[in-house]
Amino acid sequence: MAKVQAGFADEIKRFGAVDFSACYNCGNCTAVCPLAENDNTFPRRLLRYAVLGLEDDIQSSPEPWLCYYCGDCSETCPRQSNPGEMMMSLRRYLTSKYDWTGLSRKFYVSKAWELGAIAFISAIVILLFALFLRPTADPAGLINAEGGVKINSFVEGIEPETFVTIIEFGDWTMAAIVSFFLISNIFNMYLKIVIRNKKVKVPLRLYVKEAWNLFFHFGTQFRFSKCKDWTYWALHWLVMTGYTIMFTMIVVILPWFQTERIHPISHPQRFLGYYATFGILLAIIVWSVSRIRRTGEVHKYTHASDWIFLIMLFLTTLTGILVHFFRIGGLIYPTYYTYVIHLAILMPMLIIEVPFSKWSHIAYRPLAIYFTSLINSAAALEREEKK
Amino acid sequence: MNKKIGVYICQCGSNISDYVDVERVREVVEREEGVALAKVTMFACADSTQQEIVKDIEEQELDGLVIASCSPKLHLFTFRNVAERGGLNKYNYVQSNIREQGSWAHSDTPEQATEKAIRSVRAAIARTRLAEPLVSPVISSERTVLVVGAGIAGLRAAVDLADAGSKVYLIERDHFVGGRTAQWGELFPTDETGGAVTADLYEEVINRDNITLHTGCEVVSNSGSVGNFDIKLRIAPRGAKADTDAAGAEGLDDFEKRLERAIEACPVEVPNAFDFGLTNRKAIYRNSGGFPLMPAIDFEHCTRCGECVNICPEIDLDQKEAFEQIKAGAVVLATGFDPYEPGTDEFGYSSIENVITLQQFRRLIEISGDTLTYKGKDVKDIAYIFCVGSRQTGALDGENKYCARHCCTSAIHSAVLAKKKFAEIQNYHFTRGVRTYGKQESIYEESSKLGDIYLQSFEDDPPVVSCENGITSVKVKDVLTEDRELEVDADLVVLVTGMVPRADKRIGEIMKVPAGRDRFFNEVHPKLKPVETVLDGIYLAGTSQGPKNITETVQSALAAAIKTNALIGKGEIELEPTMAKIDRALCEWCGKCQEACPFDAIDKTEFEGKAVAGVNESTCKGCGMCLPVCPVNAIQLIGFTDAEIETMIDALAD
Repeated sequence: MAKVQAGFADEIKRFGAVDFSACYNCGNCTAVCPLAENDNTFPRRLLRYAVLGLEDDIQSSPEPWLCYYCGDCSETCPRQSNPGEMMMSLRRYLTSKYDWTGLSRKFYVSKAWELGAIAFISAIVILLFALFLRPTADPAGLINAEGGVKINSFVEGIEPETFVTIIEFGDWTMAAIVSFFLISNIFNMYLKIVIRNKKVKVPLRLYVKEAWNLFFHFGTQFRFSKCKDWTYWALHWLVMTGYTIMFTMIVVILPWFQTERIHPISHPQRFLGYYATFGILLAIIVWSVSRIRRTGEVHKYTHASDWIFLIMLFLTTLTGILVHFFRIGGLIYPTYYTYVIHLAILMPMLIIEVPFSKWSHIAYRPLAIYFTSLINSAAALEREEKK
Repeated sequence: MNKKIGVYICQCGSNISDYVDVERVREVVEREEGVALAKVTMFACADSTQQEIVKDIEEQELDGLVIASCSPKLHLFTFRNVAERGGLNKYNYVQSNIREQGSWAHSDTPEQATEKAIRSVRAAIARTRLAEPLVSPVISSERTVLVVGAGIAGLRAAVDLADAGSKVYLIERDHFVGGRTAQWGELFPTDETGGAVTADLYEEVINRDNITLHTGCEVVSNSGSVGNFDIKLRIAPRGAKADTDAAGAEGLDDFEKRLERAIEACPVEVPNAFDFGLTNRKAIYRNSGGFPLMPAIDFEHCTRCGECVNICPEIDLDQKEAFEQIKAGAVVLATGFDPYEPGTDEFGYSSIENVITLQQFRRLIEISGDTLTYKGKDVKDIAYIFCVGSRQTGALDGENKYCARHCCTSAIHSAVLAKKKFAEIQNYHFTRGVRTYGKQESIYEESSKLGDIYLQSFEDDPPVVSCENGITSVKVKDVLTEDRELEVDADLVVLVTGMVPRADKRIGEIMKVPAGRDRFFNEVHPKLKPVETVLDGIYLAGTSQGPKNITETVQSALAAAIKTNALIGKGEIELEPTMAKIDRALCEWCGKCQEACPFDAIDKTEFEGKAVAGVNESTCKGCGMCLPVCPVNAIQLIGFTDAEIETMIDALAD
């Protein structure tokens, strides 16, 4: 017996939900949703759970992650209950619920907390540079054969290889922090959706059998492509691949990416970098303009966390581009200072956004599909056994 | 005498002529005895055809008319009118139905449809030969109307009848007017209070010289019928000198203050029915803001201590009941409804302390100050259980199968009122499907946008109210959430109780007004005669006829006023000549006809020293129920005599 908790409405509104209480369960949202399946419950079931405040049911549901917010439901809703925005808000809410530290909720419901945390990590990055990596080298020796800036030789007494290793160490530290929180949150998500699921037990072999879902959907975002307007998917795929390439280059293969010499444009370091930058920048511009103009349901409502995310990503990209061109143009100190600022934005963005905020969907979305396929396959097995 | 009969066979465009060979019908019936002319027409009801028939009647000096066409339900009056325009008595017109009972029914077998049409027309011709010209009896009528009940329907009907020129007796059993409406506080959608609306109407009533208002008044008996109801009224003592509405030199405010002090002084306290027992009142009382202004004495509980008289000498504890005999041409029954009273333990009613009815909740909102409290406890979470006492089907099997119409809107409006008036109210509606029809939909939308939560179940799985450790909760299998079992803890459970007919059936018995299956007074036809009863001169206004909201109540009151005025406005009433006629020589008074008569139109009278049956012309409806039960065949129905029916049978069987 579940208790109805009307107070949940106030809680979920902190995560962005608007005017949903007039929902009268007509099912128009389900009728128009290209992702709704035969049981005819997606997405209206979650909206109903939210109206009734059935928190356990919401937290054990992967469904919010299965929605890509095309906004058809909100457009069609005869009661202006914004089911699309509700699903978005539930994703934020779930992110905060998977997070055991409680930081995620703080970042979502309080701008002061989120901006404060960003500023704090920025300050640490700048402080570390100011204390240990000041640009003390003779500027005369900082120009390479191609006329560009030797980016790894700014500090007197530190070899370029050592400099890269130090930055790489910083990156790996950041990645370790991010991974620790994200993976523990993922484990929480797994507990809520799969382990505490009272309806089915998932046999071990299914984990292997269904694992392809995880990689396939991460790589292709195939489910997203089933939404009505494929351009949303295309742009998002561009960002995702760009982001993944960039993340790999700056964390996994930094010595290959951050080189003293400037490679010709045909070098993969250059064109992969341009591809990633182009994708991310294009998306930032389209999304920002759309949010300002409120084009389409998906951009009608913007939570503070959405803007912070877009601004951080934009600043990271902008400083990245500036570093690149200052370096090619041989502008020594602009290169250095922009580089420091670039890291002072990049670091907090990743540490805050990936485990605690919007970026986490990079993991949660494919995982939700994986968990759903686990549960569905297990249920199908049980049905067969009964027969 | 040999009549000259004109026969017209209608093609009804092609509705009839596609299946019935109208030309053959014409050829056959033309040869019938007495037929002076027989014609086929495209549309008998068309203006040009009507004119042609009128011309034929005049020129050919016809004295009988048969039109074979559609059902008399459609055009009997049209063609009777044609007969009259041609100078014929309208009862010399007979209609033969060859469409609904001919072409449409037998479209597969046109040959036989034609044969049936021929016989049907011949039967009509046979009857026309014997048809007598009849004259409608006219009786004189009082231009006085008795309106029973001074709730919103009675007040409204009285005002409009008075404005149309009738003298009106408006009687109210209670000592205060306004009825149920006065109890409800803010009304949807204008948020005027019920008290204000009825006070306005009361003002209009007392400003009209031709309305006599009696409060504390009931009908005791009636011995008349349409045009001349002979009604005895009993007026219960109010305990105040009559018509003390005027404050006189003292000024209204001071007078009212003195009245309040007199009420204050009364030592007796009894439950206040106006607040459905939520509060107490004194043995001298006024309904909150009710009219007339003068308080009334509850003589059942008054101890005659005289405290109130000391302050207010206008009060008269020795007043006696009075009787008044009136004559009225018509009666409007605006006697209203009772709220459904749930049974013990029905959804926890009377067994769980914080379960109340919607009507009590309305009063609770009215009498609460800044916070909503019930029995000393703050109320925040309110559960409303809909359709209590209405739509009693499935597991809720009960005698009230109907939907009480007003309650969805009323409950939701009350919930919104409570939410706006008091802090931190959360409403939970346990519905069986929301029926806020028409413009009332907006209150449902407003409520849900305000965050009211709606749950729904069907009649086979009603919500369950229970109380454990002092916490009252409502459980339901919510059909809107995949039949999940859900639970709501509530500080107050409001049973959304509907309308039932008045428990007091006396007025219906005295006026002999039949009730329908729902036990409300029955109208003649739900669409075409919604405020008429089978009794001429007795009309229904408002919820005496069935559940209605206030808008619909006033609409029906106005309809009843118009119909009443149309009946008695001329001072005389034309009756149908089709009625039972007793052959007094044959009648030996056995009483069987009286038993069979559904309209109480037959009484025992005397004729040449023996007891015989007598028919009251103004109440007989010509239904014919008395004819077959008469053992000596002493009753004939004018317009449908045995001879007429027999000749028709002969013609059909020939």
